Amino acid sequence: MAEIQWERDFASAVTRAKKEGKPVYHDFWFEG
Amino acid sequence: MNAGPYSNEQFQAFVQEQFIPLKTQVFWDKQSELMERFTIKWTPTLIIHDKEGREHHRMVGFVPVNDLIPHLMFGKGKVLFDGDHLIKSIEAFRGIVEQYPDAGIAPEAVYYRGVAEYKRYHDAAALRRIYDALAAKYPQSEWARRAQPYSQIPAYAEV
Repeated sequence: MAEIQWERDFASAVTRAKKEGKPVYHDFWFEG
Repeated sequence: MNAGPYSNEQFQAFVQEQFIPLKTQVFWDKQSELMERFTIKWTPTLIIHDKEGREHHRMVGFVPVNDLIPHLMFGKGKVLFDGDHLIKSIEAFRGIVEQYPDAGIAPEAVYYRGVAEYKRYHDAAALRRIYDALAAKYPQSEWARRAQPYSQIPAYAEV
């Protein structure tokens, strides 16, 4: 199984969400 | 970073198929526009947005994979519920209870499934079923206590 293909830009993710009819799963993460 | 669930093949397949996955790195010394817009104060903060970018469900802090998948299913159900796609939301909430009955979000899914059924079919017995199901399966949950007023509704009531 390939790793998750993450979007990095909010606007791009929302554009894809509209096009593909899916919700967005948004992870705010901290490199600690 | 929520590294544990992301190395799980079941989660990888689930999120890739059902969602648009999006990552935003947080820098505490440099607040970004997105951090301010969504009031990010701890990590990980995990949000389910609809196709307009509106928030419908949020998790703060690490969530193990056996709880994270049902949380995402719940978020999808909330997007549908909030958009008045009630039949599809009922299916989403039911799926959580059937597939992940021990998940932390399961009692809330029982509650929302009943509310969606009530809104869709205008049958108050759906609210009574919320109470009955929560009292039977999750009697210690906050949602069982929040459903307590529905215990007064007749089991076969109609509005």
